[in-house]
Amino acid sequence: MNEAVAGAPPIELIGLNKWFGAFHVLKDIDLRVQEGERIVVCGPSGSGKSTMIRCINQLEHHQEGTIRIHGRSYGRDTRENDAIRREIGMVFQSFNLFPHLTVLENCTFALTWVRHMPKQEAEDLAMSFLARVRIPEQAAKYPLQLSGGQQQRVAIARALCVRPRIMLFDEPTSSLDPEMINEVLDTMVELAESGMTMVVVTHEMGFARKVADRVIFMDQGEIVEEAPPEAFFAAPRYDRTRLFLSQVL
Amino acid sequence: MDHAAGPAATPPPAEIFRPRPARRAPPSTLGVQGWIRQNMFSSVPNALVTVIGIWIVYAFFDALFGWAIGNAVWQAESRRECLDEVGRAGACWPGVIAWIPNLIYGLYPKDQVWRINLAGLVLLLWAVPLWLPRVQSKVQIGLSLVLLFPLFASYLFLGGEKGIVWSALIALGLAAFLWTLLTAATETVFGLGIARFAVAALGFASRSDETRRRLAIAVLLAVYVVAVILVQALSLPFVPTRVWGGLFLTLVISGIGIAFSLPAGIVLALGRRSRMPLISLLSTTFIELFRSVPLITILFMFNTMLPLFLPVGVEVNQLLRAIVAVCLFSAAYMAEVVRGGLQAIPRGQYEAASAMGLGFWQATGLVIMPQALKIMIPTIVGNFIGLFKDTTLVSIVGLFDLLSMSRAVGEDTRWLGLFLEPFFFVTMIYFVVCFGMSQYSLNLEQRLSAGERR
Repeated sequence: MNEAVAGAPPIELIGLNKWFGAFHVLKDIDLRVQEGERIVVCGPSGSGKSTMIRCINQLEHHQEGTIRIHGRSYGRDTRENDAIRREIGMVFQSFNLFPHLTVLENCTFALTWVRHMPKQEAEDLAMSFLARVRIPEQAAKYPLQLSGGQQQRVAIARALCVRPRIMLFDEPTSSLDPEMINEVLDTMVELAESGMTMVVVTHEMGFARKVADRVIFMDQGEIVEEAPPEAFFAAPRYDRTRLFLSQVL
Repeated sequence: MDHAAGPAATPPPAEIFRPRPARRAPPSTLGVQGWIRQNMFSSVPNALVTVIGIWIVYAFFDALFGWAIGNAVWQAESRRECLDEVGRAGACWPGVIAWIPNLIYGLYPKDQVWRINLAGLVLLLWAVPLWLPRVQSKVQIGLSLVLLFPLFASYLFLGGEKGIVWSALIALGLAAFLWTLLTAATETVFGLGIARFAVAALGFASRSDETRRRLAIAVLLAVYVVAVILVQALSLPFVPTRVWGGLFLTLVISGIGIAFSLPAGIVLALGRRSRMPLISLLSTTFIELFRSVPLITILFMFNTMLPLFLPVGVEVNQLLRAIVAVCLFSAAYMAEVVRGGLQAIPRGQYEAASAMGLGFWQATGLVIMPQALKIMIPTIVGNFIGLFKDTTLVSIVGLFDLLSMSRAVGEDTRWLGLFLEPFFFVTMIYFVVCFGMSQYSLNLEQRLSAGERR
């Protein structure tokens, strides 16, 4: 019964609830993301947006509700869960590259250890993705020798290497110097144009305006508002959304 | 993102910014001279302290040199002769020289000492491939060294009757040694391990995977058979552990302790951090129990109390009891070192591995541990050094380690009262070994972090 369902939406969150101890972080979240759709999630800090996307690949475990990825839902079987997670690539705010491995080894890591791909094939594939994020010349360096923007682009290439069908971005530009934000955003725009299903938590409203199909605004663990970018920026329905936009724009 | 300026306000053409070239640092702060001036003679009191300090160091080493070399006696038949010649102004080395074999091998039979030397040579040859750049199977060689060398070495040291199971295990150790030598050789010359090299050399390289795998296994089996035959041919007389002693005994106890404590410490540390309550409780209890008690107490307990719990007639060797005590003690300490290292690795590292679909063991073994172990090197080696020195405590349960052996010199009728010189000699041995370990750890640290500095 837990087979991938053809035509099922890539991500479905139904009645999702989560608590950290007694604190109710996510309240009845319902979200359905279609194939190739680009969702931008924004909201003040502590609104539960990061927790929500971390639930999508089970870095956080929810207590109530259902998460379906291409029709398969997470359960007790950890192997099964790992198999579902392999469909999903994730990019973190703090990059989380492996500092003891070179850029190339970071990219081939999952191919070698999860997909059991032969070394040469994995390296060729990794190089093609490094070329796609335009840093193939840095392949032999260690992550800490690169700038923040370069590190984040490596992280994107690393996530793409395993050919995920969904990409999650958890504030990918928040820890970057202003001069480096655009190089990362450009890479993400290109990725969006290639038709990847993306969920992006970000405060970059320019990015949201440019590529999002839908913008979601969260506060206090709830989805307050959800609308296409034009409507979202031009005529937000709730006062809370207007207040937030007046502060970030 | 959009910075296009309107046509109305045209700014003046931008000036070109050229960074200034960096200048040389002032010469008085550079080089040896600069350093000396800055750090040793920057003011009158500072210069005074420097001069006094140098004088103290000089006086100390001058006295030491006079005693140990300048006035020392090198040829004598007894301590009496030394005293007649120089009194107490110079060291009496002949006593130490006469006792060197005992300081190193204890009371191990003289005609059997070659067995210890052979084990040392095997250990050396086994470890050498780990430093050869072209050898690829370093992990396998390292693991076989830690796990299987003790099997082979314990027979060399002990000798005596060997049953079928014991023979098979000894042969396994020897086979691993032979495999290490062969693989190191073929990998250095041809870049292939011995099994794959043999397959290629015999012309089977183009056959199917299945055939090649079978042939590779056959090659490994052949190595094992050779080892079995060699072990059968080797028949060594039994040497009881009570005649083991000196540096040899110290190295046996600390070597086993070192080899055991790191893996056991890793397991215990992971156990303590485990989310499974029973495992966490057991690990924590073990660690806290053994860490809260002095080693000397544990040695004593194992020596006197363990036999009370064992059934009548079952006797555990005294050396074994001491080794087990040292192992458990050092594992508990190592567990806390490893736990500290694990805590220094950001959670994001585990999350990134986990998001890629790696399970707990893969994430821990491939991402967390390599980074954690690297930061732990100084502390781990510090613990090894501590363990090496702590083995002196086994003298309390009647084992003749290096230190207690050195005291035996002064009890010899010819060298009666000669305590200082053997003590000095043994101190130097401890210093050389411990300093060597600490220097190696510094070197290892530098090599491992070479590529990762910003």
